[in-house]
Amino acid sequence: MAVLRLRIVWIGAAVILIAALLPFWLSAYLLGILTAAYYFGVFAMAWDLLFGFAGEVNFGPTFLIGLGAYTAAILNTFGLPIPVCVIAAAFAAVVGGILLAVPALRLRGPYFGLVTLVAVLLLQNFIVIFAGITGGEIGMTVPDVLSIDANVNYWYALAFLALCAVLLFGLSRSAVGLILQASGQDAVGASALGFNVTKHKIAAFCVSALFSGTAGAMLIFYMGTASIDTVVDVAIAVQIIIAAVLGGRRTILGAALGAVFLIVANEFLRPLGQLNTFVVAAVALAVILFFPEGLLGYALHRGERE
Amino acid sequence: MSGDIRLQVSGLGKRFGGVIAVKNMSFDLRAGEITGLIGPNGSGKSTVMSLIMGLTRANAGAIKLDGVDIAGWPAHRIARSGVSIVFQHSRPLQRQTVLENVKLALLPDSLVRLVTEASAAERARAIAERVGLGGVLHRHPWTLPFADLRRMELAKAVARDPKVVLIDEPFAGLTSAEIKVFSDLIRTLRDEGRAVLLVDHSVKSVAALADRVIAMYLGERIAEGSADEVMQNETVRRVYIGGKIETVERKAAAAEGATLLDIDAVEVLYGKAKALDGVSLRVQQDEFVSIVGLNGAGKTTLFNAISGLVPYRGAIRFDGRDLRSLTAAAIARAGVVHCPETRELFGHMSVRENLDLGGGHLSNAERQRQLAWVFDLFPILEQRQTQAARTLSGGEQQMLTLGRALMMQPKLLILDEPTLGLAPVILGQLSKAIERLRGERSLTLLLAEQNVTFALPHSDRVYVLDHGRITWQGDPARFAREMSTGYL
Amino acid sequence: MRAIQILVDGFAISSLYGLAAVGFTLIFGVSGVLNLAHGGIMVVAAIVGWAAAGELGLGTYAGTLIGVAAGLATAYATYLIVVRPIQRSRAIRPEETEIFVLTGTLLWGIMIQVGMAYLFSDNPVTIRPLIAGVVNVFGVRTPANEILIAVIAWATIGLLWLLVNRTRTGKALLGASMNPRGVTLLGYELTELYLVAWGIYGILAGMAGVLLASFLGVSTTNAGQLTASAFSIVVLGGLGSVSGSLIAAYVVGYLETMTAYLIAPTLRPIPSLILLVLVVYVRPQGLLGRR
Repeated sequence: MAVLRLRIVWIGAAVILIAALLPFWLSAYLLGILTAAYYFGVFAMAWDLLFGFAGEVNFGPTFLIGLGAYTAAILNTFGLPIPVCVIAAAFAAVVGGILLAVPALRLRGPYFGLVTLVAVLLLQNFIVIFAGITGGEIGMTVPDVLSIDANVNYWYALAFLALCAVLLFGLSRSAVGLILQASGQDAVGASALGFNVTKHKIAAFCVSALFSGTAGAMLIFYMGTASIDTVVDVAIAVQIIIAAVLGGRRTILGAALGAVFLIVANEFLRPLGQLNTFVVAAVALAVILFFPEGLLGYALHRGERE
Repeated sequence: MSGDIRLQVSGLGKRFGGVIAVKNMSFDLRAGEITGLIGPNGSGKSTVMSLIMGLTRANAGAIKLDGVDIAGWPAHRIARSGVSIVFQHSRPLQRQTVLENVKLALLPDSLVRLVTEASAAERARAIAERVGLGGVLHRHPWTLPFADLRRMELAKAVARDPKVVLIDEPFAGLTSAEIKVFSDLIRTLRDEGRAVLLVDHSVKSVAALADRVIAMYLGERIAEGSADEVMQNETVRRVYIGGKIETVERKAAAAEGATLLDIDAVEVLYGKAKALDGVSLRVQQDEFVSIVGLNGAGKTTLFNAISGLVPYRGAIRFDGRDLRSLTAAAIARAGVVHCPETRELFGHMSVRENLDLGGGHLSNAERQRQLAWVFDLFPILEQRQTQAARTLSGGEQQMLTLGRALMMQPKLLILDEPTLGLAPVILGQLSKAIERLRGERSLTLLLAEQNVTFALPHSDRVYVLDHGRITWQGDPARFAREMSTGYL
Repeated sequence: MRAIQILVDGFAISSLYGLAAVGFTLIFGVSGVLNLAHGGIMVVAAIVGWAAAGELGLGTYAGTLIGVAAGLATAYATYLIVVRPIQRSRAIRPEETEIFVLTGTLLWGIMIQVGMAYLFSDNPVTIRPLIAGVVNVFGVRTPANEILIAVIAWATIGLLWLLVNRTRTGKALLGASMNPRGVTLLGYELTELYLVAWGIYGILAGMAGVLLASFLGVSTTNAGQLTASAFSIVVLGGLGSVSGSLIAAYVVGYLETMTAYLIAPTLRPIPSLILLVLVVYVRPQGLLGRR
């Protein structure tokens, strides 16, 4: 394990370094795609923390993301500066995370998944009903943006992704992360070892919510708009899940890789029109059927597997 | 310090729905003492452990740890108070190394602690080495042999220096050499002043290790004392063996009956544990053969192998056919009908519907005839035919299981522990029914039982299964002579 | 006569919901699968039926039957290509199989939805009513087709009940939903039973899709909503309980119809969503669930 960590850390540092230099070679258009992809990467990593570690399948990560995004957007229209909006967004998302955590601890598998899905649908309907403030189905524009320069936006996104990756990865490898893994894999065993599984799972929800909501807020301040299609829709939730599963569950970093791969692949398949979703879904299905460990998971464990 | 009462259980009771699992259990665990808890399957031993550990909530009674009542506390709080448990089935974290698994046990229940103290790693190493895992600290659990996984469970349980250690079936799946090593480890726990509660099916191993033994049956305590005292106790012997062993004069079975079932060197592995180790036996046409052995011996595993429900090595032939080539359902249709220990009834269907499903492969007329015969054998089923199966009593459910199997017109009936959890009165009825089967039909029976008294009168031949191996075979009379004292 | 209109419309839509939900719950009960491609199967049936009836000029009746057949085929494809390989895969740990099947069917559903939209566009399709004309029900003019739909839905459900309770295979299916090992020990092949279950499901979903197309119209964009409704109804009624699903279908159907008529059509799905959340919090096993 120690060896692995070293390897990943070095590779990760190298990847970030190369990524930071990309604005000198790529067009603004491509940089824009990567920028969105990086925020998506944070969505996926936050999802993997919850699923891969706490063992909870969240079919509606966009509930937390959307809460954060819209809170930030609405507060911004009232004139609050970006940093304040982002912090408020994080807070709102964590509250949402706790709301989601409470039923999770009483329900098994499919029922919990359903609650998370319903949460998204409710949020969606909520936004539509209060269209006056939220812009309804069309969405709303946000007065402030992070920057107008594509390069600067790109670096903001990269820095944010790197920071979140370090934090989340570090968490997954920490003592708390170990306890979380134990709670997710074997709740009875963990409680017999003296761990309050409920407490840890709620904490996992809050952490996942924190990162999701903050990333959601950052995303809308990059795009300048907030809408259901970009931060709430179930289709986005599905993409996040696919990204995490593609990249490899429980690897955290794999989720980010999966997200980037997915967004970039979507772009390259754009000429196919509607079919690009088809191709992506087909590839993801193939991965599930043949490489359930995910691409990164498969690559990492190939040496270790019996 | 030694001899102090560490844990005091009084009036403990637990029911699951309508089933009373534990009734009015009271006992003490003392520091520096190993207490053994024995009893046939279904007697409530594991439930008692779950209750103490807080994994299940008691319906009645108190559990006092050093004077403080811990009944109703959540498991993690009980664990932090100085009670730990070694589970029957190993539950390692597969993605972590052995060292990390043990380290986990040392971590405080904190949300914010990110870094493990250096001393924790050192302590983890020391603990792992003590149980004999020094050489595999950095390996992953799935690379380890079965015994090492059990060592790891022990390490996790003692990591935080518990006052009370609960050990559930430590010897299951271990070789005799490994059992010796484990027994020594458990003895050192006692010598360190801990209170140890030990549950195992191997009465011999428990007897060799325990300072005191408590025997349970159907949720209640039936005897307590030193190992020898409990072993000689009349009630205990009756409960395990079923009572005085009587044999019946059997008319000699046809000397050269055709071999109906041929089991040849069968081996079954559950993960790493060897459940069956080179078992060979033979059943001839029209014979009634019993396999006796304590729980955990492998009887159910053997039957599951015959029925095609678990993979195995070796050969099983029925009527000349190799059963490996058939699906489980096909094996049943071929005439090998299995009445499992768990009965597998369709709880929400009526008695009649259960029986009809059993006769589903017959023509309507045949099914009616068969049904009439089953009702004649078990009149109570006819009375209750519209009732839902799960509302029946234990004995009635067992009769339904048997009746349903008979609807399939079996050539070979395999019956797994039919007397499990049944009151003695029902045993008599069941016994008569089997006697009738013997007389009326051309039927071959393979019976697995812990209750030797029940099995012997119906047997032409007896096999003894112990720890996955056949250790004795012969006719019932010889069994009564040779095995009645040594069996337990 | 608003009330009567709500009563009648609500009845029709509820019957359709019921038909679809019964299939969904059957598959869950017998094979343990929550099929998130459910809406996709209904959509395929609807669109193929429409194409056969209209584009290929085969007429409404033939079109309807072909649509149902398409639903059946898609259901089998879902089982054989997605569900069964995942359930049998040795690379997936048994505790995770459920999640993988869920995700797999979700992806498959997306593939169906997008694929159909690509081949046929995402415009709503309607199938011409099977019988024309208007009937007077308690003073409300109702399309005769609507009545027919309710009748067909109930006739099908009745047939299903007969199948499950009076035939040997049906009872074996019921047994499999209670105890798979039990039926195996009684000599029934589970693999065959699963194929039968998915076949029945395919026909039910196909019929629901085709009938919906003749009633309200169906487009590929409905796929997700249809799956969600079926899911909600089944959870409300109790996962695995057929009668529970039927009752829940009527509760949801009427709630939606009343909302559409009395409050606003756009708010149609909301009350049932709220009800769902309440149920999940208060009584997770649903009205009549036992699993």
